[in-house]
Amino acid sequence: MGTGMILPFLMSVFGGAGERALVERLKQRDPQALAELYDRYGKMAYSLVVRAVRDSAIAEDLVQETFLRVWNRVHSIDSEKGSLGPWLLAIARNRAIDYLRSVAGRERNTVELNESEHPSPYRGMESELLLSDQARRVKQAMEKLAPNYRTVMELAYFEGLSQSEMAAKMGQPLGTIKTWVRTALQSLRDDLDVAVSS
Amino acid sequence: MNCELLRDHYDLYALDIAEEPERGEIRAHLQRDCEVCTAGVRRALETAALIGASAPAAEPSKKLRRRVLASVGVEQRPGWGALWIMAAACSILVLALVFVLRERSPYVQEALRSREALSILYAPSTIEASFGGAQPRPPQGKVFVNPSRGVLLIAANLPQTPGDKIYEMWLIPKGAKPVPAGLFQSQQDGNAMHVRPGTVDIASTAAVAVTVENQAGADQPTSTPLIVAPLPMTLAR
Repeated sequence: MGTGMILPFLMSVFGGAGERALVERLKQRDPQALAELYDRYGKMAYSLVVRAVRDSAIAEDLVQETFLRVWNRVHSIDSEKGSLGPWLLAIARNRAIDYLRSVAGRERNTVELNESEHPSPYRGMESELLLSDQARRVKQAMEKLAPNYRTVMELAYFEGLSQSEMAAKMGQPLGTIKTWVRTALQSLRDDLDVAVSS
Repeated sequence: MNCELLRDHYDLYALDIAEEPERGEIRAHLQRDCEVCTAGVRRALETAALIGASAPAAEPSKKLRRRVLASVGVEQRPGWGALWIMAAACSILVLALVFVLRERSPYVQEALRSREALSILYAPSTIEASFGGAQPRPPQGKVFVNPSRGVLLIAANLPQTPGDKIYEMWLIPKGAKPVPAGLFQSQQDGNAMHVRPGTVDIASTAAVAVTVENQAGADQPTSTPLIVAPLPMTLAR
């Protein structure tokens, strides 16, 4: 087994039962299922949130809020088709960006917020996507990006900046920022497609 | 708007940075269960989630697990067996991460540089200065200067340097000689991001400049600066 396979293998070994069963148990209000969900995604959610808000105490509050939100809304996920991890991370990211925006006095489109937190778009995703080898590949692909491309991706994902806000922040024309974003996304996509086809 | 026109915007939609009218159009397609857009957005959401999972690993406090469980009315005290398994799992994961890190070592420096750049960009005490805005053929961009974290330069439209030349950044003190602040190359598309970490005495610094120098760099500028970004006067200065 190559080093590239070690991490996903370990995650699957220690990940416990499959996500479908986990969703069913969460729906049945099994507290142990929430503990397993936390063991599976807690660190990942915390890493995302603390990267965005840069404060461990605030990050922990937001992660707690994230899991509570999943617990309260899990009835709306389809256990046969839904994917918990990406949905949970979307909720965690929204909590972090809402916090950043409230601190900075920036507004956010509440319609879009509700959409990205609804589990239906996550139907049909690979159930353990975030524990798969693809996660490692995207991480590597992000690190391979030229600094300006990587920065716009991080500003968009972790800081929640619009392209106009990034242009103002980085002192670049909006068209340049759009080109950087498009190039960065295409580069990530190419790396993922190469990985999938190989 | 048909799906073909929207496909380039799925990733932007998933990142919440799509603009109108495409954002509204995608939303409408999803609401009417358009198979093409649903599949495209799902794929984009997968990529977005994977970007989220690429955040540098950070360890929450042990209290957080208990807080999460307590928030739904559960109190838990892990037994020694569970603790041992968790400790063993963590140790093995750390070893695995060491292997993975070693495997991708060529990119670690770039990753660290980006992290330094973002830390300067978002520090409250950072001041910024633009350059190139009024020129018809700019290098264009900004410099960010933080007294404790260093200087970040973001530039676009830089001309390619000849093979034996390189860009050199300078801190220009008031009434004193320029101080070298690191060498860098632009990318093929003319973009560049350069970080000079470390402390900066903002009060005594008048400007940040960039010249073209020989590959080894220079102790003092030997060419006319391509970029000069005068630092703004602030009350703190």
